Amino acid sequence: MNSDIAKPKTVFVGMSGGVDSSVTAVLLKNAGYHVVGVYMKNWSKDLPGMKCPWAEDLADAKRVATKLDIDFRIFDFETEYHAKVVDYMIEEFRKGNTPNPDVMCNQEIKFKLFYDIAMSQGADFIATGHYAVSEDGNLKLATDTNKDQTYFLYRISDEAILRTLFPLGKMLKPEVKQLAAEFGLDNAYKKESMGVCFVGEVGIKDFLQEYIEVTPGQIIDRDTGEALGTHEGAVFYTIGQRHGLNLGGGLPYYVVGKDMAKNLVYVSKNLNHLNLWTKTLKLKDVMIRQIHQESGDIQPNLSKLTCRVRHRAPLISCTFNPETNEVTLNEEIKHPAAGQSVVFYDGDICIGGGIIAE
Amino acid sequence: MIYLDFAAATPVHPKVLETMLPYFSENFYNPSAPYLPAKHLRGEYEAKKSALAQTIGAKSPDLVITAGATESINLAFTVLENYPDAEALILATEHASVRESARHYAKTVGEISVDQTGLIDLKDLAAKITKKTVLISVAIANNELGTIQPLSEIAEIIREIREQRLAAGNLTPLYLHSDASQAASLLDLSVARLGVDLLTLNSAKVYGPKGIGALYISRGVKLSPISYGGGQEMGLRSGTENVPLLMGFAEASVRAKSHISASRKKYEKFNQLFRQILTEKSFVTPKFLGNKKHQLANFCPACFDGLDAERLIFKLEDRGILLSTGAACAASKGQKSHVLSAIGLTDSEITGSLRVTFGELNTEEQIREAASVIAEVANQEAKRIGLVSDEVVLKESHDTELGQENPTASSPDQGVTHE
Repeated sequence: MNSDIAKPKTVFVGMSGGVDSSVTAVLLKNAGYHVVGVYMKNWSKDLPGMKCPWAEDLADAKRVATKLDIDFRIFDFETEYHAKVVDYMIEEFRKGNTPNPDVMCNQEIKFKLFYDIAMSQGADFIATGHYAVSEDGNLKLATDTNKDQTYFLYRISDEAILRTLFPLGKMLKPEVKQLAAEFGLDNAYKKESMGVCFVGEVGIKDFLQEYIEVTPGQIIDRDTGEALGTHEGAVFYTIGQRHGLNLGGGLPYYVVGKDMAKNLVYVSKNLNHLNLWTKTLKLKDVMIRQIHQESGDIQPNLSKLTCRVRHRAPLISCTFNPETNEVTLNEEIKHPAAGQSVVFYDGDICIGGGIIAE
Repeated sequence: MIYLDFAAATPVHPKVLETMLPYFSENFYNPSAPYLPAKHLRGEYEAKKSALAQTIGAKSPDLVITAGATESINLAFTVLENYPDAEALILATEHASVRESARHYAKTVGEISVDQTGLIDLKDLAAKITKKTVLISVAIANNELGTIQPLSEIAEIIREIREQRLAAGNLTPLYLHSDASQAASLLDLSVARLGVDLLTLNSAKVYGPKGIGALYISRGVKLSPISYGGGQEMGLRSGTENVPLLMGFAEASVRAKSHISASRKKYEKFNQLFRQILTEKSFVTPKFLGNKKHQLANFCPACFDGLDAERLIFKLEDRGILLSTGAACAASKGQKSHVLSAIGLTDSEITGSLRVTFGELNTEEQIREAASVIAEVANQEAKRIGLVSDEVVLKESHDTELGQENPTASSPDQGVTHE
């Protein structure tokens, strides 16, 4: 970390009131940075059956900042968050996809808007409580493999990676918790925020019902063509999903396809159904970063990569063909939903990824 | 721990708790049941309710027992349901329960302005009453400032308007409601003297249990039920009587009333001491809010212009001192206090405002310590953001300890954050 005591570097830390970002702020302060805590107000609307905890989160963040004797600011991103993340999410669901709002939030809000404003207000760096490593301009896997969050960060810009500090990247979660207790952060045992607050608490179904007009439609057995029952709206169903079909007992049905135009959901009892398993994935919006080395930038070896198809999923060996945008996996996996991301790694370096097209 | 937020909640007095206990598990009957133990319980309940009514110079049937002040206020506003075109007038500094009830029940809501001390503008009141005004709601003492309103003068104005209406053949009634939640420990609430038609009482602020309150209803005022069922509380609030809480509420109210003059004396002394120490020791001179002549004796709202009161609160909780910014319910929503806006404070003054309210747990020693520590913490913050120079700090920090500061953390662009 920086040791220029005469003129400490300024770092703007995104503080959510949770353990991770609180410990992040303490670590940076103790390392000699001039730390400015920032609460990003992205969402404050209550939803049916769920009170948005933003005011409490804000108070928690401010409490920690106060105890650390650091400056604290509030960046109000509600309008932008709605436009860039929520609208995108709704649009994707309408198309029948299963988007990942956290990926979009990091790309558009935390590592773009927050980054830009922090820089314009005099920051040398930004920092967040993500479990990831930023080293030599490369985004790398976190030491705590169970907590690694690079899956959500793969779309952030090279510039942001270069100027972002992830103090937790080389720590294990239990160490972070212990530090929180040692630092007397009394919110140390507050539950972690898991992705987008409103989705976690209220469930995506309740959220979508607020924004998308849904009409019931038929559930069709793809193998027999028989109509099995009624669903509540095709947007609510994800390919590969097993639960929530209310089709009675017996072997479980899996969602194997959707027809958004006709509002149909196709299901099958056959676990080996072609649509359920795959070794290749077609991507869109692919973003591949170069690997930065002291000797100069090099292209990652796209024929010898590993990838992750969801947060915390094991790394799978794969190759990527940039001509066809196709990933070929070394093993067969249950088909991830369209709209989710495939994230690529060359060794421990996250080199980017893309969004599953179909 | 020094607790200085008695306007938000008071601890149940041991005597009050003792009074309530037998009614939870021993004497637990439904007072409407037909057997003798229940009948006896009904007697005890009514006697205690009468004692409660007497604290405001009323009779038991004049009171409807509710689940707290908010519910009492909601019930009071149902008077508007009988008049579809009704207008309500509320003081600009009323609590959210009054503001929201008015918005829900009245066709239009007018606000009566206050001066810089939070005192009602009587001329504005008279000017804003229209032919359709049915209910005027003015808290006898404000919950953020402690400013005491001249209710009998307000009642006098209302009386005149009623006479004018009668003379003109206008049969629309005009009622006065007052939320006395904050006042029962320190003010005489005799309804006849105040001239109110409706009065809200709150157990939670007079060392009684939470979850119970009462609404005094003058004879002839027609309200609508807020719950339907067994017809308890004159049919306005059905539901089995909450005997233990009523026992505690009444006990606490009777006790509070008998201590009024002693409490007032004690808190006046505390208040003077507190203001003196805080002013002496703070680099940023505190501005005391409210009306010094007409203020609840235990209220000491203070503003450190330029500082961030929330930060002071978080630092003070570490030092064992608990206090609040404006009303606790407004603060938790991250909203700026409408009360402080109404008295004309600037945004920066609102951000720098603390609400200190004394109570029965406090001792003179605590008041001295709290004032010193608040000044010390305010000084630390003033220094951190560069409101005062290091020289001032060195010169004046004879008996205050200042924490370790990062000298680079006071560049001029780091003002107080404004939400």
